[in-house]
Amino acid sequence: MTHDTQAAEAGHAPASAAWPIRLDGVSVIYPNGTAALRDVSLTIEAGEMVSVVGLSGSGKSTLIRTVNGLVPVTSGTVTVGPHTVSGLSGRRLREVRGHVGMIFQGFNLAPRLDVYRNTLVGRFARAGVLRRLLGVPSARDRQVALEALDTVGILEKVWARAGALSGGQQQRVAIARALSQEPSIMLADEPVASLDPPTAHAVMAELARINADRHLTVLVNLHLMDLARQYTHRMIGLRDGELVYDGPAAEATEADFEQIYGRRIQPPQRPAEQP
Amino acid sequence: MSAPASPGPTSEAPLVLPPRPRTWPRRALTLAALAAFTLATCLPAIGGVEIDLGAIARNWRHGAANLSALMQPNWAFVPRTIQPMLETLQMAFVGAAIAAALSIPLTLWAARPTNPNTVTRTAVRAVINVIRAVPDLVWATILVAMVGVGALPGLLTLVLFDVGIVVKLVSEAIDSADHPYLEAARAGGATQGQMNRGLALGQNLPLFANQWLYALELNVRISAILGIVGAGGIGRLLDERFGFFAYGDVSVIILEILVVVLVIEAASNLLRRRLA
Amino acid sequence: MSTTLSPAVTTDRPALTLPPRPSRRGQTAATAVVGLALLVSATTLDVAWADLLDLPRAVWDYGVLMFADPDWSRLPRALFEMWRSISMAWLGALLCVVVSIPLGMLAAHGVGPAWLRLALRGVFAVIRAVPEVIIALVLLTVTGLTPFTGVLALGIAGIGTQGKWTYETIETLRDGAADAVRAAGGGRLAVIRWALWPAALPALLSFALYRFEISIRMSAVLGIVGAGGIGSMLANYTNYREWDTVGMLLIVVVATTMLVDAVSGALRRRIMEGA
Repeated sequence: MTHDTQAAEAGHAPASAAWPIRLDGVSVIYPNGTAALRDVSLTIEAGEMVSVVGLSGSGKSTLIRTVNGLVPVTSGTVTVGPHTVSGLSGRRLREVRGHVGMIFQGFNLAPRLDVYRNTLVGRFARAGVLRRLLGVPSARDRQVALEALDTVGILEKVWARAGALSGGQQQRVAIARALSQEPSIMLADEPVASLDPPTAHAVMAELARINADRHLTVLVNLHLMDLARQYTHRMIGLRDGELVYDGPAAEATEADFEQIYGRRIQPPQRPAEQP
Repeated sequence: MSAPASPGPTSEAPLVLPPRPRTWPRRALTLAALAAFTLATCLPAIGGVEIDLGAIARNWRHGAANLSALMQPNWAFVPRTIQPMLETLQMAFVGAAIAAALSIPLTLWAARPTNPNTVTRTAVRAVINVIRAVPDLVWATILVAMVGVGALPGLLTLVLFDVGIVVKLVSEAIDSADHPYLEAARAGGATQGQMNRGLALGQNLPLFANQWLYALELNVRISAILGIVGAGGIGRLLDERFGFFAYGDVSVIILEILVVVLVIEAASNLLRRRLA
Repeated sequence: MSTTLSPAVTTDRPALTLPPRPSRRGQTAATAVVGLALLVSATTLDVAWADLLDLPRAVWDYGVLMFADPDWSRLPRALFEMWRSISMAWLGALLCVVVSIPLGMLAAHGVGPAWLRLALRGVFAVIRAVPEVIIALVLLTVTGLTPFTGVLALGIAGIGTQGKWTYETIETLRDGAADAVRAAGGGRLAVIRWALWPAALPALLSFALYRFEISIRMSAVLGIVGAGGIGSMLANYTNYREWDTVGMLLIVVVATTMLVDAVSGALRRRIMEGA
């Protein structure tokens, strides 16, 4: 709202400005009766980098998927920028999704296709009716996709089969795919859970750089406290679908984490066994 | 849970076993049903098959003479088989190609990841199931009566047969696999059509190619006999020679068919390994 | 040959250098050859392609003739003949399975001697290559034109494919159970009885049911060439051009085949799930 519009005028930021995210009393109950989110309300300002931590089953995945409508909300409203996501469908939902980039734990690339075609997927939402029918990318599509690959430093692999790349490389391609949407929000659902520690740090650093350079709003699901503390500004903790923590990430203590996880992080000391 | 045997040499507690599940009634019932069914198939009164081993014994000498005639190919007949054999191969090839083209949209419509619309998906599947329920030669017989004798009904039969097989097998394969890349495309705002054309088709091409080659192999075998009902190919010649009891000619034709099928099968296996 | 791109947004960004695109020359050449062969085949085929335009009309007309008012008066006879075809199919499938399972097992690696394996596989390949109808026609010269001949033809013709599936199933079994039996001192027969047979049974049963599904279709075909059953009734009435009866017969054939497919498919699923 503030900072990145000035940056946009200065000519540094990309074409689209960042959007805030707002959840108002959002509850999600799956058809089988599981309550994944209970009355969650939070506001994320445009340009913030926020992590969501919690155990598996705490509702992290559900929360992040309500932002782009992959999971419908049972009650409450979800707003991204000027659009209300909850309740949208069809063409309008696709339009909004075009402005929200998302990366996944499993990278979600098509392994048989080359990196270029995988990255072009990010341009699908921008295609007009004729292009959608013909399936032919425009010159601008090509340029944006290639520049996105260059930004994450993987342009030299542009013609390689996506399945032949390492995990870290695949996640970079996924980031490039999301960036080529020219998004206003970046969502990341456990982006580093399948990566080894050095690679995980590299990917998190990439996300942090995107947040700093482009002033994109970034929302990341993480399961490791170190990464949350090191790379994000603000941390949100979920337990059993409820918001139990919301504060600066750097100041989170181990006690805070234990409260989020609902149990001790280190196992208690056992008494010595009987001989 | 069974109680653990107590440690030490002098164990007094007897072993407690959980109750044994009773599977034998179900098994006995299944076997009884199978036996009854088999019996019913052997009763000529209701249409069953009359197992007449005596007939074989009686016909044996006659049959043995025929068989030995079949073992002596009449090589002079080969030139007359070339044109019909070529027609057989052409039908097989063109039929497989047309079916391949038709199978792409139909398969994508028949699989859930590429077509979330239950109504159209079920409709396509129903049509494909009906097509598959009609045997190849039955299609040929009816098509010959409809459009006349020649290669056209044969071609149409092959196309129908292939589309049935390819769509069923590939759509089932697509259904049973995971397609995480589609979720990413959906999250980015793509339409189903963009996802199918831009990602699903390219990613699943090996599945398609595999079945297209299989369809080609099947085509060669089928198109060899379609001629029996007048639908083109070497089958007509075969039927004619059988009718004249010219078993030497028949055996040449059978040998040719054998060779062609084996060659196509070998080539197809090679191709399939390179594509996979 | 690398290509360079100039960005459109600002002028102070360096041009992108792409790696060279991998050569697709081989693939293009192959496609061209196949395309040419296709074109030649299609044009030299003795088909009046213009006739295809009349096809939709012809399909509609005949469809009306067959299904607008099917002749149900002959239904009892049709059901009688259908049972004959089913019987042919059932007994033929039974014969085929009973013969092909032991032969297939012998043809698997690690079960029988190498010469036997090669000989059996060769026999399977030859039987597979010859169309079933031709096998039936050959048998008809020996045993005459009867449903029993149909049974023999179905049984023998299927040995090729069933045998292949049998030895493939055995070969793809995990070695664990076989190793355990051998380690406990079991000979070849014990390995078959205690390791291979129980593990392969679900797949073999599944293939046996599938053979029945195939046989149902084949029995109609054999009927057309004279072995009796619904196929011969169909061929006759098509010759007489009595389309309303043909329509009724088609309905009977389709309904029966789909019923058998559904029941068999459900049984096969249950067998494989329990495996």
